[in-house]
Amino acid sequence: MALSLALLRELEGILGAGGVVSTLEGRMVYEADMHTFYKGAPDVVVLPETTSQVVELVRLCRREHVALVPRGSGTGLIGGAMAPVGGVMVSLTRMNRILELDFANRCATVQPGLINLWLSQATREAGYYFAPDPSSQMVSSIGGNASTNAGGPHCLKYGITVNHVLGLEVVTGAGEILSVGGKAHDHPGYDLTGALVGGEGTLGLLTAITVRLLHVPAGVKTLLASFSAIDPASEAVSAIVAAGIIPAALEMIDETFVRAINEGVGAGYPKGAGAVLLIELDGPAAEIEAQAGRIVQICRDHAALEIRVAQDEAERALLWKGRKEAAGVVGRMSPSWILQDAVVPRSRLPEIMREVQAIGARHRLVIANVFHAGDGNLHPMILYNDLEPGELERAKEANDELLRACLAMGGSVTGEHGVGLDKASSMPLQFGDADLNFMARFRRVFDPDGIMNPGKLLPSHPACGEVFRPSAPRLPAGAWV
Amino acid sequence: MAVSAPALGDAFAAIVGGEHLTTAPSQLAAAAVDGVTPRWLARPGSLDEVSRVMALASAEGLAVAPRGGGSALDLGTPPLRLDAVLDLSRLAGILEYVPADMVATVQAGVTLDALDRELGKHGQMLALDPYGGGSRTVGGVLATNASGQRRFRYGTGRDLLLGARFVQADGTVTWGGSKVVKSVTGYDIPKLLTGSLGTLGVIVEAALRLHPVQPASGSWLFSFTSREAAGALVVAVLASSLEPERLAWLNAAVLGLVGSERGEAALAVSVATVAEAVTSQGAELGSMASRLGARVSALDPAFWTRMGGALASSTVVKLASEIRRLPFWAGEVERVISRHGLTVSLVGEAGNGILRAAVEGSVSPDTWAREIVAPLREALAAEGGSLVVERAPLYLKSAADVWGPVPETALAVMRRLKAEFDPGGVLNPGRFVGGL
Ligand SMILES: Cc1cc2nc3c(=O)[nH]c(=O)nc-3n(C[C@H](O)[C@H](O)[C@H](O)COP(=O)(O)OP(=O)(O)OC[C@H]3O[C@@H](n4cnc5c(N)ncnc54)[C@H](O)[C@@H]3O)c2cc1C
Ligand SMILES: Cc1cc2nc3c(=O)[nH]c(=O)nc-3n(C[C@H](O)[C@H](O)[C@H](O)COP(=O)(O)OP(=O)(O)OC[C@H]3O[C@@H](n4cnc5c(N)ncnc54)[C@H](O)[C@@H]3O)c2cc1C
Repeated sequence: MALSLALLRELEGILGAGGVVSTLEGRMVYEADMHTFYKGAPDVVVLPETTSQVVELVRLCRREHVALVPRGSGTGLIGGAMAPVGGVMVSLTRMNRILELDFANRCATVQPGLINLWLSQATREAGYYFAPDPSSQMVSSIGGNASTNAGGPHCLKYGITVNHVLGLEVVTGAGEILSVGGKAHDHPGYDLTGALVGGEGTLGLLTAITVRLLHVPAGVKTLLASFSAIDPASEAVSAIVAAGIIPAALEMIDETFVRAINEGVGAGYPKGAGAVLLIELDGPAAEIEAQAGRIVQICRDHAALEIRVAQDEAERALLWKGRKEAAGVVGRMSPSWILQDAVVPRSRLPEIMREVQAIGARHRLVIANVFHAGDGNLHPMILYNDLEPGELERAKEANDELLRACLAMGGSVTGEHGVGLDKASSMPLQFGDADLNFMARFRRVFDPDGIMNPGKLLPSHPACGEVFRPSAPRLPAGAWV
Repeated sequence: MAVSAPALGDAFAAIVGGEHLTTAPSQLAAAAVDGVTPRWLARPGSLDEVSRVMALASAEGLAVAPRGGGSALDLGTPPLRLDAVLDLSRLAGILEYVPADMVATVQAGVTLDALDRELGKHGQMLALDPYGGGSRTVGGVLATNASGQRRFRYGTGRDLLLGARFVQADGTVTWGGSKVVKSVTGYDIPKLLTGSLGTLGVIVEAALRLHPVQPASGSWLFSFTSREAAGALVVAVLASSLEPERLAWLNAAVLGLVGSERGEAALAVSVATVAEAVTSQGAELGSMASRLGARVSALDPAFWTRMGGALASSTVVKLASEIRRLPFWAGEVERVISRHGLTVSLVGEAGNGILRAAVEGSVSPDTWAREIVAPLREALAAEGGSLVVERAPLYLKSAADVWGPVPETALAVMRRLKAEFDPGGVLNPGRFVGGL
């Protein structure tokens, strides 16, 4: 779908020439998010600075039946912020201001392009922070976080992004400005705020977000426990939670990653460990002291090889360093990889980890793991080499088997990254036709013409042809759900 | 094709079984919703039966009200129409519960008390503690998004409902969400259902996030001779790193009811954690409060149930405001309501900006609408807050809308949602905001 010159002029009329990127090189920058399998450059990229510009954009795209793809920082791992059928990409990076900090109400209102970490930096001195902390928090946007309903290591205790969003300003696919929720905690009517979070840009564009701020906890304690293998480490995870302790974070790092992290970032994790658990407690000093004692005991009971407790902030930062920089060391392990993001019920962790190893062995591939163990949110990374014939195919098969194994245990298709283009076709693994049909109709309420981020989140599987009834016959093929 | 009433009764009976269908006028009168008597009361015994009842009702253009424990059936505008009450009390099973996962999947008709007993055996709980009788059901609590003081720490049904199986108006059985504590697969349909007052679907099963019961807890009452000082304690607690479980605002009338010391306003606070931290947090709270001139006393755990009793009135108003404005609104509500010779018991979720006022005494519909509801509602709305009349006799309900206005654009979207999922107005028609 190429854009007409007339439409380009209209876009420039709305945004000024400086807010429109239409050169080939310029557009190519936006052809993918961090899931670089999927490429699709938009016909034009626009960079609005105000909500009213966004409204005009949506109305124009609606009138012209042109696809519209919102984009935050483009760090998504799902093929979400890319344009499979071309169209207009709306980059929100210029709308990146903090609109209000309101400590008395423990909240802040920000524009969507604000980088996650900036909010915590801006509020730390006053004693507050924004709890959702995806590992990409240094670069990902709060609009992107809210749109994907992002998680992160500390979501075990504090919940994912939706638990921290109080209100939204949204420009829907119908071109209306919708303000929902706000500083008051209850509002009569349907909880549109909750249902819009995680919309992955298919319902509308978030133009302002009111989020909860939490008070910085009184104390923090970080422990690292190493084990001979994944199995006892997984059992320890279950035992900690079963003891009624919900740590702030409970992360697992497997042998392959421990080695790569030690070599790559010098985190100094115990050599030869088959698995490492990184456990963080936060809260009142007396609480974390008592809980840390219990955890040490539980890890010992599960044959921990070594247990370290950070004594100060520097040691704590060192323990976290390896986990936080894990993504950066993957390149040391393999030229290419596929990252999975599925969930299992916590109690099935030992079982699924054995299954992960078995699948790897079956396909003669190394599967490395660093993940949010306390939530049962796995991130197996299937390593493969493009240059070896057949490896990519085997990696894809292994990936598919992994996903199915998680679902067979009662799990979920995605724990935090979202569905995007990547997992749209996997939705029927978790949902039946009636369920997907409900979602498709929900989408249409916000986006009657199917212009918002087409091809994402819901399957456009031929078998679903009857289930999903496209409402706008003038749409290009494949543009609906 | 329309079917005659007796034939419809037979059709309902064929679905749920004759013994689970009530048509006796006296029993139907007892099942009336806000004075509107249904023609049938059906008690389905399975998901399939719920689905078939809804399909039949939908095909015949009947209006259906789901019913859980019946403790909040009068929440909302009186029904526009009502043909059948769908009683979910037979669907009261715990379907899946693996304590190590801290997730339980239960049928909607299970009562909070029954669930509590089962979860308590494993040291766990559903952290939802709305006020009211022990017969409240999970479905009813979710449909009304009812919550109590524990929301300060654990959130509301919105945060605790992971997945739901529900039956749409036309009988279609649908699942939304997941049964794991972390999932972002597709739209968060459970959030849409929470608080939708049964207008989008009948919740039949719910997957719930549970929490561990903490090993120790402590509760204290801090009473003050001025509202401002009580307000200052709320500010101090919220600006500290203390992590209370409950932070309740009480006015003088409630202090009297729960048999505590006198004062103009008080905060009841509970802390739940390990024993050492209960002691240390209690001490910190105590010194914080004493500096502000509070009288401090320890509370027994049963206090929290007694406090809920303070709201057992036929007229209850709920206000939602910014957190920092709660002390101001507590004063305003007392002033505006007591001016008319009424007494007001106020219980607030002080960390969430929610206040409930139970009103006693008689008032004319006109005074109610013009001098109480309207001015409070308008002033609150100007600050982004709201006032909902949660419970009131019919003569007051017909004088002032129970929900109040919803912003036009949002209401338009809500109307589209209702039209999409219940075009025939089968589910609780007319009861929700804007006449949905
Ligand atoms: C190294 C690394 C680590 C990561 N760790 C985590 C992690 O721990 N947890 C986690 O959840 N994710 C993680 N991610 C994934 C990613 O960072 C998150 O999904 C993040 O929320 C995306 O934000 P973004 O601003 O980059 O959004 P983008 O990638 O630009 O967009 C993501 C989706 O949201 C939509 N969108 C963006 N902004 C808006 C808006 N304003 N209105 C409407 N729709 C919008 C887009 O259309 C797209 O569908 C990680 C990624 C990387 C590269
Ligand atoms: C004395 C008293 C004080 C109260 N105080 C408070 C309070 O302070 N805060 C608060 O939040 N609540 C309060 N409530 C309300 C009450 O706690 C909840 O709303 C209650 O939990 C509803 O549960 P129920 O099973 O009795 O629902 P019901 O009364 O049976 O039903 C309530 C509504 O939900 C719908 N419904 C019921 N089940 C389903 C289902 N499965 N699917 C779809 N729709 C359904 C019904 O149609 C009805 O509209 C109070 C109630 C009482 C009796």
